[in-house]
Amino acid sequence: MADSELAQLELFAEIDELVRRLRDFVEADSTWEPLGHCRAILRRLLGRVETLRIRLEAPLVVATFGGTGVGKSSLVNALVGRDCTRTGRERPTTTLPVLIANPDTNLDSLGLPLPEFELVRIDSPILRDIVVVDCPDPDTSEGETAGSNLARLRKMLPHCDVLLFVSTQQKYRSARVSDELQQAAEGCRLLFVQTHADRDSDIREDWRRQLAEKYAVPDVFFVDSVRALQDQQVGRRPSGDFARLQDLLTSRIASSQRIQVRRANLLDLIHTAIAHCREHVAANLPAIEKLETALETQRQRLHDAMTARLRDELVASQGLWERRLLTAVTERWGVSPFSSILRVYSGLGNLIASATLWRARSSVQMALIGVVQGTRWLSSKQQEREAESSLQRAASSLGLEDDLLRESQLVLSGFLRDAKLTTLSSNSKTVQELRHEAARVEVQFLGDAGQRIDGMVEDVAKRRSGKLIRAWYETLLLSFIGFVLYRVLKSFFYDSMFAEDLRHDPYLSGAFYINAGVIFLLWSTLLVMMFTRRLRCGLQRQVDQLAADLARQRISEGLFPAWEEACRDIHLHCETLDVLATNASSVRDRIATPVQFGAAR
Amino acid sequence: MSSTYAACAEHVRRLHSAARQLEVQSRLLQLPPLAGREWFELLERKLLPQMTDDAFLVVAVVGGTNIGKSVIFNHLAGCRASATSPFASGTKHPVCLVPPGFAERHDLPSIFRGFDLHEWSQADAALEDHPEHRLFWRTSDATPSNLLILDTPDIDGDVRVNWERADNIRRCADVLVAVLTQQKYNDAAVKQFFRKAAEEDKAVLIVFNQVLMPDDENFWPIWLRTFCQETGVQPEFVYLAPADRRAAEENRLPFYVGQVSNLPVLSGQVGNLPHETCSLKDDISALHFREIKLRTLRGSLRSVLNPESGLPAYLTEIERRSAEFKSASDLLSTHQLAESKDWPPMPNSVVVQEVRLWWQQQREGWTKKVHNFYNAIGSGMLKPFAMLRNHWQGERTPPLEQYRQREWQTILDTVESVYERLRWFAELGNPLLQPRIEKLLGGKSRVELLELLKTRHDLTDLEYEIRELVGIEMEGFRQDSPQSFQFMKWIDHGAAAVRPVTSVCLFVTGFGPAGHAVHQVAASTALQFAVDIAGGTVSAVAGESAISGAAATSAGFFEARFRRLHARFAAKRASWLARMLKEHLFGDLPDELQMATAVPQSETFQTVRETMGLLQSSL
Repeated sequence: MADSELAQLELFAEIDELVRRLRDFVEADSTWEPLGHCRAILRRLLGRVETLRIRLEAPLVVATFGGTGVGKSSLVNALVGRDCTRTGRERPTTTLPVLIANPDTNLDSLGLPLPEFELVRIDSPILRDIVVVDCPDPDTSEGETAGSNLARLRKMLPHCDVLLFVSTQQKYRSARVSDELQQAAEGCRLLFVQTHADRDSDIREDWRRQLAEKYAVPDVFFVDSVRALQDQQVGRRPSGDFARLQDLLTSRIASSQRIQVRRANLLDLIHTAIAHCREHVAANLPAIEKLETALETQRQRLHDAMTARLRDELVASQGLWERRLLTAVTERWGVSPFSSILRVYSGLGNLIASATLWRARSSVQMALIGVVQGTRWLSSKQQEREAESSLQRAASSLGLEDDLLRESQLVLSGFLRDAKLTTLSSNSKTVQELRHEAARVEVQFLGDAGQRIDGMVEDVAKRRSGKLIRAWYETLLLSFIGFVLYRVLKSFFYDSMFAEDLRHDPYLSGAFYINAGVIFLLWSTLLVMMFTRRLRCGLQRQVDQLAADLARQRISEGLFPAWEEACRDIHLHCETLDVLATNASSVRDRIATPVQFGAAR
Repeated sequence: MSSTYAACAEHVRRLHSAARQLEVQSRLLQLPPLAGREWFELLERKLLPQMTDDAFLVVAVVGGTNIGKSVIFNHLAGCRASATSPFASGTKHPVCLVPPGFAERHDLPSIFRGFDLHEWSQADAALEDHPEHRLFWRTSDATPSNLLILDTPDIDGDVRVNWERADNIRRCADVLVAVLTQQKYNDAAVKQFFRKAAEEDKAVLIVFNQVLMPDDENFWPIWLRTFCQETGVQPEFVYLAPADRRAAEENRLPFYVGQVSNLPVLSGQVGNLPHETCSLKDDISALHFREIKLRTLRGSLRSVLNPESGLPAYLTEIERRSAEFKSASDLLSTHQLAESKDWPPMPNSVVVQEVRLWWQQQREGWTKKVHNFYNAIGSGMLKPFAMLRNHWQGERTPPLEQYRQREWQTILDTVESVYERLRWFAELGNPLLQPRIEKLLGGKSRVELLELLKTRHDLTDLEYEIRELVGIEMEGFRQDSPQSFQFMKWIDHGAAAVRPVTSVCLFVTGFGPAGHAVHQVAASTALQFAVDIAGGTVSAVAGESAISGAAATSAGFFEARFRRLHARFAAKRASWLARMLKEHLFGDLPDELQMATAVPQSETFQTVRETMGLLQSSL
């Protein structure tokens, strides 16, 4: 297999792949109206692509196109070399399109609506690889009524592969014809011909200038059809531009070129359709972006409300802070006199706390108690909430009041409407559902916040329980214990044996122990209080810091995950469309287009 | 000139100004503007400037691109007045030849309204591209007096502004020299142009240009017939100009008279072979000016008064559109947009507090002193309790703030239901309301509304509102039933006498004159309010039945008073919301609807209609 052939096959495969991906895109579903519109367009396109692919190898359909009286039929006759379609001086002459083909050309493979044609079978060299259609004009009908020339023409155009755009000095700037060409040129190769060379001036320069905006114009032929036909009929070879045109259509469109032409047409079609879709989507995308901004704003609002509430409650729950910090410190210190004292105190506190746990006022306090315990509590709380969801909940645990949620929903459904996500906007949530979503958001938020609180507690406990501090408190505690022990030991070992004055009871009385106990209690309480005070010092600042940190954070999902998901989805689809467009244009650039043909830009 | 003619001219002037005025009045109806409507352009460009005593004819050479209009025009001018070019859409601005002295006698700009008049300096000026509509004119000795001859831009090229210019010249023209060719005589754009000319009863001279002389001799009558049948044109003369480019360039193109027997009927006879050359210009100068002038004026007037496409159709359009607005307005007013039930009741403690304050101000003499003394003692005694309570139960939200929150919830409820209603309206798909409502439903409008309501609601001084209301109501009580008031006063005196005993009890229970009953009463104060958007009214309906029911028994007298106080307050707040919604959500929509509905009843509309009738009868 030759390299060029291999390259050909590769290109084919690429086109197949492109079409397959287009089909995938069309079949995916989306709730967004503009994308639905694009899908409808592309679905239609795929239908046309399919017919083009089926007849890739069939003879090319070359059709004339141009205003009435410009000599379309004369040109066809001249090209074929015989009088086979009626020409005339009355306007319009041709009303039924004339299909001219070789007697042995199989027309079935072309998919043309044959009953709509006047069929002429002629053996002419030019008809070896093509069939020629003489089309009616687009400019005598004032509207596209059934049976009008315009209607007939429009029916023909999608079946044509090459358009011979014929014009004259009088008509080359006719608005109706150029408007119609713009529609017709989609997915067609173009050849430009100025006729009436015998009578008219050469206006090709101006014409080309005018065409250049919208079409690639490699060549404009300037022909005298009548003379060319006469020449052929008397056996002379035609000359000049006409000869070149005839040669192009006769010998240059060999079977390989034929495929090139069709392929180029097909890719043009795909390219135009995708470009149109992208334009349509791009026009509607700003609304989606606005929706996203609004979603983000609302998410931020929720987050701010939760952070503010968290901060307030953290500041308010001093007792809990102390216990958490004390526990952390004792865990760090292990066993020692002062830490045992601390443990006893915090143990007592925790005992009370666990008793009051089920009456905890807020989930923030639970987060303070600890992540593990807290989450467990929260989930149980949530179940409880679901169970009693019909009951009015007094207030959200984290400041997500009903009002806030409803305001969010009210605003967002407006943006949803702007963004034409109507299917989504119509099913707004009830307050119950909103609360449910809010609870989900809260859990998510608290999970994160709880971890940060844990980290903070660890951090504070570490910083406020250095060796020096520990030694200081241990010493203060031990000095009291040492003093009491000294008194006890002294009275037991020394006073009872060596004291001279035995009138007094040498042993310490019970009152001493009671006093010592009471003083110990006071002393240790004082120490613990001093210590916890130290621990707590600057806590407000820490909490503020924490709140500020949290405020900078973002919650990953807001109240309306479905809407956020829809936005992401739309962006994804748009990206797919972009990729398809890049693919299509890269394949379009790489295929070899026959240079002699013009086309829409 | 006859008196009818003068009267007609007066009517036309009145009609024109009234129509302009009507357009301004009916701008809310969102109709397409008058400019660009065929009948109005005719009124403005043809009838208004040309209904004068001095009859002159406007002759315009018209036709498609690149078929030699300028060649024909130059022939008429007798010189190269307009430039020719082998390329199409050459002439972009009309060129006008004016007989000597004409410009002094007439106001050219008013004849060619909408054109920027420039004196002709060179032939190429009309080929230049320029966004403004220009018209180049020159005095030409060769032009017969009272004849304006114009070359016009094309009517079928890809430069659409040329069409517009040609259309405007066509409207003010009396005689059209229609240049046709074999290729273009049956083009849609050409046919459309001349159909309008035929409707306006213009005198038309047809020139078939670029005729292939021996070959086309049999064909041009067929072209002519097709053209006349398609457009309704009845040509005065038909000329044939051979396809002779050199002759055309040298301005010596021969014109043959195309003689068709029985021309106006065009029953299909083949014309005689055209042999004699003739002068187009001479034929034109020989036209019966006055007759043609009258004919085209009448034709234009007929077009203006055409029931299907003229002024009557415009009036019908206004009426229909206005009726549509009316139905939209009815739609809005029959379905009250904002409705709210169960406006939250003001906390009793607040109301009672206010009533007591008011009552305190009414006390005089020793009663005042006694009560004030005990009140001071009472509040002093209660202070530590309040502090303790605050400490144990946390700071309590003041009742007024609680009420504010509840009220906000109600506002939200209402706003939600308003949007729901609006969505329903949008789905009804009234084409007039749809775009406005879609805009209201958009996210931006919602954010703005909510923010505005929130700020205004937060700024509202509820305490002042209730105080004001209590003042008014209690004053009303004192004036309406002085006996009851006096009775209350005695009780108060009595209470002052036994105050040492009762004060503590009173303060602990916290109630003044109205007593315990208020609890249940206020709680059941249901209130409805509705906003009638189209009518622009706000109505609030208190639970009247509850009031009258309670007032029936003498025991319920004060209770009813109290209930009414609540209801009044709720009504006040509800109408505040309704007003906010009306002003800031709906804006001027209701007013606009109202105004749009009233256009057909306006005086201007009637003037237009009357003048139209007068003109119709003079036709």
